[in-house]
Amino acid sequence: MVKAALRRLAYVVFVVWAAVTLSFIASNVLPSDPARMVAGPQARPEDVARIKKDLGLDRPATVRYGLFLSRLLHVSSLPDTDAAHKTCGTLGPLHVDLGKSYQQRRPVLTILGERLPRTLALAVVAVFLQVLFGVSAGAFSAKRRGSAADTATVTASLLGVSAPTFILGLFLQWLLAYRLNLLPLDGFGKTFAEHATCIVLPALTLGLFGAAYYTRVVRDEMRAELLRDYVRTARAKGASELGVVRHALANVALPLVTLIALDLGGLVGGAIVTESLFRWPGLGSLSVTAILDRDGPLVQGCVIITSAAIVVSNMVADGLYGILDPRTRRR
Amino acid sequence: MRSSRSADRSLSPEAGTTRKLLGALLLGGFLTLGCDASLVAPIPAAHDGEATPVRGGVLHLSSFADIRAFDPANISDGLVVELLELVFAGLVNYDDDGKVVPDLAESFRMSNDGRSYTFTLRQGVRFHSGEELTAADVKRSVERALHPDTPNPMSSFFSMIEGYKEFQSKASEELSGVRVEGKYLLSFHLTEPDATFLPLLAMHTLRPVCPSAGARYSDTWHPCGAGPFMLPDKGWDRGREINLVRHPAYFRPGLPHLDGVTMTFFVNFMTEKYKLSRGEIDILREFQQPDLVRFQSDPRWLPFGQYEADKQVNGEMMNTEMPPFDNVELRRAVASAIDREHYRLLKATALRSATQPIPPAVPFHEKDWDCQKYDVNAALEHMKKAGYPYDPATKTGGYPDPIPYTLYQQGLSSYTAQVLEQDLAKIGIRIQMRVVNYPTYLALLGRRKTTAFAPAGWNQDFPDPSDFTDTLFHSRAINDEDSSNYAFYASKTADDLMDRAKHELSPGRRATLYHDIQKKICDDAPWAFTHYYRFYDVHQPYVKNYRTHPVWTHDVKFSYLDRAGEGARTALSRVGLSPAAILPRWP
Repeated sequence: MVKAALRRLAYVVFVVWAAVTLSFIASNVLPSDPARMVAGPQARPEDVARIKKDLGLDRPATVRYGLFLSRLLHVSSLPDTDAAHKTCGTLGPLHVDLGKSYQQRRPVLTILGERLPRTLALAVVAVFLQVLFGVSAGAFSAKRRGSAADTATVTASLLGVSAPTFILGLFLQWLLAYRLNLLPLDGFGKTFAEHATCIVLPALTLGLFGAAYYTRVVRDEMRAELLRDYVRTARAKGASELGVVRHALANVALPLVTLIALDLGGLVGGAIVTESLFRWPGLGSLSVTAILDRDGPLVQGCVIITSAAIVVSNMVADGLYGILDPRTRRR
Repeated sequence: MRSSRSADRSLSPEAGTTRKLLGALLLGGFLTLGCDASLVAPIPAAHDGEATPVRGGVLHLSSFADIRAFDPANISDGLVVELLELVFAGLVNYDDDGKVVPDLAESFRMSNDGRSYTFTLRQGVRFHSGEELTAADVKRSVERALHPDTPNPMSSFFSMIEGYKEFQSKASEELSGVRVEGKYLLSFHLTEPDATFLPLLAMHTLRPVCPSAGARYSDTWHPCGAGPFMLPDKGWDRGREINLVRHPAYFRPGLPHLDGVTMTFFVNFMTEKYKLSRGEIDILREFQQPDLVRFQSDPRWLPFGQYEADKQVNGEMMNTEMPPFDNVELRRAVASAIDREHYRLLKATALRSATQPIPPAVPFHEKDWDCQKYDVNAALEHMKKAGYPYDPATKTGGYPDPIPYTLYQQGLSSYTAQVLEQDLAKIGIRIQMRVVNYPTYLALLGRRKTTAFAPAGWNQDFPDPSDFTDTLFHSRAINDEDSSNYAFYASKTADDLMDRAKHELSPGRRATLYHDIQKKICDDAPWAFTHYYRFYDVHQPYVKNYRTHPVWTHDVKFSYLDRAGEGARTALSRVGLSPAAILPRWP
């Protein structure tokens, strides 16, 4: 058990390290200059050179990479108020240091700390809506196979998977916020109530988009399940239709968990288009800006969060398989 | 673990086609719904015309962009300039006509040799923190901004100040060219007469900052100056919005009229239009092209729309150090072959044909002078002189190889490139487009012997022609990396003219010199100047005393709101502060 857990932890560390290293290499191979992006396109060479030095970009990439890795996780007795540890997050003597954003000139950890909870909130609500709409519609459609309702659901789900989120998002914004004035156009709000109303449009956009896939998956899986022997037996024994659906749904849960894990992991990395469209201040919009600005430390911070989220959510899904289907435990 | 979703994506071709069809239908339906949107009527003002200014209310602005820093010593984006103008007052500023006038200074005078400027400060000017502004604060702010440890992208603009080199190299702890002569008296001393000094001083970089800023730059300092608005604690929510509130002790009595100014960031164009319609923002400056046409053709909105000054020149850069453009005749051929009208028509609402390096809003631009112009016969003649004669009838001859043309995807360049390709085909030049992303484009453009041909542009940093001519065409601006002289153009004649113009203080003689400089540049054609870009904005009728500014673009410092029922929205309540809450802390 402990051995397996350690193996998985090593796997997480390896994947995150590989992702960060690749992003570091990519940002150093590209013929662009982060100092130029900080100074602006019209800054003079001598000013760019001074900023380059200030950011430590005058040192070789290998030195910077070594420094980054050595600072990423280190042990120190000094507090984060110390000049050398101002950009660190501390857990007792254990320090995590992602450096300082070139553009914002603030610790990357602080920036990620602001953005991550917002992205998590959006991801959780969006996935909840995906599951709610997708499972309901899929189960409903499977149960009424061949009916007009089934056709309507399939058509709607096809529309859903065909529409990019920016089209769906713009449409929902136009309809619910602009025309009907039911919701704010965009933003994040300042109070909990405002956050709750502001999250509706981006979550609904992601939720409806994702629900279309869920509907198709649940419908197909449910249709297969409803034709199985155990369903026929249950019905013969007088089980109610609701009970039958409940049994069948339990068996559909396995692919559903896979989908949820992938979506949650992906969304923690940020729903780039949706966040930008609705000005939801999460990791997605931050990543895009960081990449466009060649803000290396911030890009690496985003990559760590994204890769870790995907790996961890997959591990959780693997764990859940064992609970949902004991037969998979032996594998 | 294979995802069901990825399995779903590998649908049969038929299913894929159906999906695309449905997507197209949805898109079409959406566009139909979205595009039917005729403009909502403007929200009327309470009074017609410029009524007596009304005190109160918050002006709401927005942008698709964001600001990166909020410190006069670290200006690296264009948007923040509008906000700095509200929070930081300078010794001098630009009036509505773009003329340098005293601001925090009561007066200033230049010495006879043009090397010294003495400023007498207004007495009783208060910073937002309550301290009185003195000459020592000005010197401290200048040294803070120009210190080598400050990440100031504009430091080198001030290299004409005496002692700058020593200060930058840390050989000296103070900037000897800035001297405190008395509590309210300060002088600047230059190494030589420099016509750009005052225009540069009127920009934001050296504007006085509160004593809390200290003598050296810090990333964690809370912005604080002596301008008409101040930034309260928690007034800046990074990446989202900034809320400025009225400075109750601003040195101009009765001003500003507004209680606050709010700017929201990262708002997309469509949402900005919706927000204007709902009165959630008061001025709209960013448009999708169809919307801009609608605003300009709607008689209800037309009186409230205006063009901003043309402060940007664009062109096709030809690297004079690289073949084939080391051949001046070939450059001249390109400059003559481009029909500027084709460029203008790509976005007629924003572009004007360029005729010379200095854009219309910048001093010494010469109206009605076609320094470079479209003349295909002349272009063919230049091709012949270059050794590549081309016969348009038989389409034979011309330059034998396609010329690599480096461009980036954002902006207009992917469209202008197609116009260029067609225009040059008429004289037997073919181009090979190489599309890169913007940061890469910037790096390649400034690197020596790397980019032969590319679109290029320059925005005004400060309103002086040298910002265009010297930066883009002086041999001093050539560097192996990060060269701003993208064409690597070097001409002793042009250099001499530019040096003379920079140090010449007589406007009349400068005008003659800049005429000669432009003529020389147009003739040598390191760029083919193609278009000037100008922005348009509309404001709600209730925003009064608002106009575009020749330098600051949008100047809302002394605007006021004349909206019936206005007063409910205040920046103060949004950030939980009031001037009364701040005042008792003052000495």
